[in-house]
Amino acid sequence: MNYFEFFSLPRKLTIDVPALEKQYYALSRKLHPDRFAAKPVAEQEAALAQSSLLNDAYRTLKDPIARTQYLLTQEGVELEEQSKSATEAARASGTEKKQIVPPELLEEVFELNMQLAEMRAAKQMGEDEPELRRDLMTAKDAFDAKMLETQAELERLWADWDAAVEAEDPGLREATKDAMVVLLNKRSYLRNLVRDVNEALGV
Amino acid sequence: MAYSDKVVDHYENPRNVGTLDKSSTEVGTGLVGAPECGDVMRLQIRVNPETNVIEDAKFKTFGCGSAIASSSLATEWVKGKTISEALAITNTDIVKELALPPVKIHCSVLAEDAIRAAIGDWKKKNNVAETEGAAVAAH
Repeated sequence: MNYFEFFSLPRKLTIDVPALEKQYYALSRKLHPDRFAAKPVAEQEAALAQSSLLNDAYRTLKDPIARTQYLLTQEGVELEEQSKSATEAARASGTEKKQIVPPELLEEVFELNMQLAEMRAAKQMGEDEPELRRDLMTAKDAFDAKMLETQAELERLWADWDAAVEAEDPGLREATKDAMVVLLNKRSYLRNLVRDVNEALGV
Repeated sequence: MAYSDKVVDHYENPRNVGTLDKSSTEVGTGLVGAPECGDVMRLQIRVNPETNVIEDAKFKTFGCGSAIASSSLATEWVKGKTISEALAITNTDIVKELALPPVKIHCSVLAEDAIRAAIGDWKKKNNVAETEGAAVAAH
C-alpha cells in the first residue's frame, strides 16, 4: 500500500495539510500501543507495523519536497538509472549528453564553489576577506530568492499534475513529471549552495 | 563505507588539477553536474590540431572523494589519447579501476559525461561533426 492510499488520498500533489494532520492524530490514537496491551501478540505487532507506516506516510506527505519526490518514485522515475542510460545513449551516438541542469546554473554553481574555496582558504590562514565576504553575501541573497522562486514554480507544477490526473491526460502527466524532475534537480543544487555559503559565512 | 586505496590515492594526490585557457581553439571545456548529490565537475582538454591527440588535460571538481578520484583518473587516461580513443572510455572502466561501490557509480558516469562534454566543446570550436569518432557504431 502506498502512502496516498494509506490516507485514502488520490495521487494528487496539492494536499490539505491540516486535514492530513487531523487524520494522522486520529489514526495515531487508534493505533496507540496502550490500546493493544491486553490483545494477542500478533495484533500488537500488526498495530505496531501500521503505526510505523503511518509515521512514514505522514512525514513524507506533509513535506512538499518529500511528497513530490515520493510521487515521482511511485511514478517510476529513477533519476540515477535515467542519467546512466542517457550517458549510454550519448556514447553510442558519439554525441554529448544533454545535461538535465541548465548550463547557466552549472556555471554559477561552479563559480560560487570557487569563491567558497577561496573563502575557506582565507579563513584557514586566519584572514578575513571583506570583498569576498560581500560577494558571497550577494550570492546568498540571490540563491535565497531563487529557492523561493522554485517553490512557487513547484506549486504551479502541482496544479498541472493534479489537473492531468483529473482529466486523465497522459501527455500532460508525462510533461509535468519531466518538469518536476528538472525543477527538483535544480533545487538540490540551490539547497547545497545555500548550505555551503551559510557555512562559509558562519551565519 | 571505506574507499578503495586507489580512490584515496587520487583524492589525496589528485592529478592534473587546474585550468586551461578556455578561449583557445585547441581547448575543449566540459562542465557537468550530478544534481542528486550537488556535484559539479569541470574537465578541460588541449588537443594538438595536427594529430588530434589530447596533449593536456585538467580538472576541477567540487564533490565527494569518488567524484574527485573519477575525474582525476579521467584526465590521466585521456592524456596521450586521440579524440576517438578518448571517446571509447566508459564509466564502467572507471568503476573497475577505482573499485567504486554501487552507490558511487554516478560519479563515474559524471566523469564520462565530462570527457564527452569537453570533446563536444572542442568539436564545436573546430567545426568537427558531432558524431565523428564515435566509439562504436550502434549497429
